[in-house]
Amino acid sequence: MTQHLNEDDLYRTSSQYRLWSFSPESLATLRRKTHELAITRASQYAPKSKSSLWQDGTAVDCLNAEECLRLVQRYLDQVRTTSDHFKWPVPVKATAAQYLARFYLSNSPLTYPPKEIYKTVLFLACKTEATHMTLSEYARRISTPADEVLAPEYKVMQALRFTLDVRQPYRGLKGVLMELLNLAEGRVGEVECVETGGAKALQAEMLALEVPARTAQTMWSAKAAGKIESKDVMDRINAAYSAARTILDGPALLTDAYFLFTPSQILLAALHLADEPLTSFYLRTKLPLDSDLRPKILTTIAACAELLASFSGSHILSKDERAALEQKLEGCRDPSTRDLVGSHAVAKRGGDGGEEAEEKARKKKAAREKHLKEGDDLFGPSLNGKG
Amino acid sequence: MSRIAPPKSAPVSKRDPRTGVVQSQDDVCPVCKSARYMNPSLRFLVNPECYHKMFREQTFEDIKVEREVDIRKKVGATFNRREEDFETLLAFNDYLNDVEDITFNLINGIDLEETNKKFETYTRAHGKEIEENAQMAVQERQSFSAAQKLERQQARERREAARREEEEEKREVEENRRDVLNRLASGADAETVAKEGQRVQLKKRMDRQAATERQRQLQAAEDAHSERSSKFVIKGLKTKQKPEPEAPIDPFDGLRLVDSYFTLQDDYIWEGIQEARKDVKQTAGGYDVGDYAHRSLVAAFSGLGIFVADEITQRDQLAQNAGVVSEDVGLKDAKMIHAA
Repeated sequence: MTQHLNEDDLYRTSSQYRLWSFSPESLATLRRKTHELAITRASQYAPKSKSSLWQDGTAVDCLNAEECLRLVQRYLDQVRTTSDHFKWPVPVKATAAQYLARFYLSNSPLTYPPKEIYKTVLFLACKTEATHMTLSEYARRISTPADEVLAPEYKVMQALRFTLDVRQPYRGLKGVLMELLNLAEGRVGEVECVETGGAKALQAEMLALEVPARTAQTMWSAKAAGKIESKDVMDRINAAYSAARTILDGPALLTDAYFLFTPSQILLAALHLADEPLTSFYLRTKLPLDSDLRPKILTTIAACAELLASFSGSHILSKDERAALEQKLEGCRDPSTRDLVGSHAVAKRGGDGGEEAEEKARKKKAAREKHLKEGDDLFGPSLNGKG
Repeated sequence: MSRIAPPKSAPVSKRDPRTGVVQSQDDVCPVCKSARYMNPSLRFLVNPECYHKMFREQTFEDIKVEREVDIRKKVGATFNRREEDFETLLAFNDYLNDVEDITFNLINGIDLEETNKKFETYTRAHGKEIEENAQMAVQERQSFSAAQKLERQQARERREAARREEEEEKREVEENRRDVLNRLASGADAETVAKEGQRVQLKKRMDRQAATERQRQLQAAEDAHSERSSKFVIKGLKTKQKPEPEAPIDPFDGLRLVDSYFTLQDDYIWEGIQEARKDVKQTAGGYDVGDYAHRSLVAAFSGLGIFVADEITQRDQLAQNAGVVSEDVGLKDAKMIHAA
């Protein structure tokens, strides 16, 4: 009665696969729907707003979908830099960026400007990834009041649908590195279902690999003279690893890669961009040539690599552009969510309105005291509450 | 009494109709020599010690048989194990053989000392069992007789009911005929009267049939609920099932993780692994550095064969076909697409 699970089955059980994986079409649809909803909402509160931008009555000056996306992306980058500032390990960075991206799949910047959300998201990520810093310390270091950090937290959790696990490619990349190094040393002979000539043959093949293309991202270059030794191959592998790692740090987080591909595919795509011959060799040892999944996997990895490569740092908004957009946002954002701290406090108290609740509490207390006093009275407490 | 009973010569014997004991005409009491001829109601009793016609009612013609029967009764009272108490047929047959040996020895007076010793050791060893078995036998007999009585009673009741029904039917037919005659006599139309009469008769018959049907059903239900055990009691060897040895507990209940994209090596030359192996802080607690390697490699390939775009499109199509409506989770800002 044993049921065998392989690694793919394991990934299928994750919440990232079940809830946060999309096809490109469904992702676009989701974003469009969110944006439309925000716009309709904006038209409702437009007349109430005192801002001068609404004088013509139409929601012309709202941020459009493109601008929203770019603003979110800018803040993804901001999250990354802040995490580096704290010198937190890389999983925190990835988790925080993913939380932000997921949050803005179902909410729009028009309702919750990213400026108020990203600190909370980062704090949540550091708690999730076990590098916890106390709230006061955190708030102090980013010079924000602690209330502001905590206020949107429940909203963020709701938007994340309470699934906090983000599967990341970093550990996998290390695994690939380990295996490649062993291959170079000639230690890996047999791989499941794949015909290899044995360990030595694989090693020889590695030594004979062609040089990476000029467009590859790795820093390694072949020695001009002399034959390649295994030590050189190891250098090559390490260089490829660090190049892939940089790619994963940057473009992977700032694009939709996590929504459209699995972490395994992302890391292999990054490696592909870093050092193409090495990756093809590696995949040759992993996937048997006659398997029908092989071409599909290769195309998927190629597609992901394209996505990662198409991103460039210049896409991110500059500081001025961001400031301009935020100014515009200020005029068209939802005013009901302006005071997040206040609404959070009210929600915590569980009351409807602050003053009414206090009145009731006071009255109750007075009645209780009166009853106690009457109990001590010589003739006992009053009957039926009347004198 | 050590006198040997007179040999039975002539078959001038008849069974006493009352007690069923065989009597012969020239039975003579050894003590007072009064013969049956003189006293027809003379009853001879048998002394169980020497089996002379003295003290106890003789049930068999031959005193030897009587003696054997008594011995068997005695032995049977002690060696009263049943077939159900044994696991194998061989064991049961061995037991029966031993009992028969003892009985034979006792009847024919062979090795009396040894046999008696065996007898006594068995009695002492299995005293409790003997008692239990005796009790069980008594109970069984009681329940059996009770069951029989119940059956007989039921049969009797059924007979009664059948008889009653017949009487009723006859009476009704009579009444009906009389009724018809009366009505004809009082001048009603012959045909209508006849038809009415028939209808009434039919109705009465249907009612009675329905009533009996219902009665039968009730009885059947009662029987089903009654605590009477099944009519057949199968006697046989006790089937003893050896309890299966419990399998060791499997915390994953049959789930196994299989590495399908890689084979875990014994050692990885990557410096991270090598340093961790030497680092006391890592290994002191019993942590296996190979675990990290395995985990990393599983993470490297988990999801490699999953094509997200295709599978999500498929899932959405299925959801649409099933008519799943996207739920409003109640958030102010956005409609969450139900990704189930």
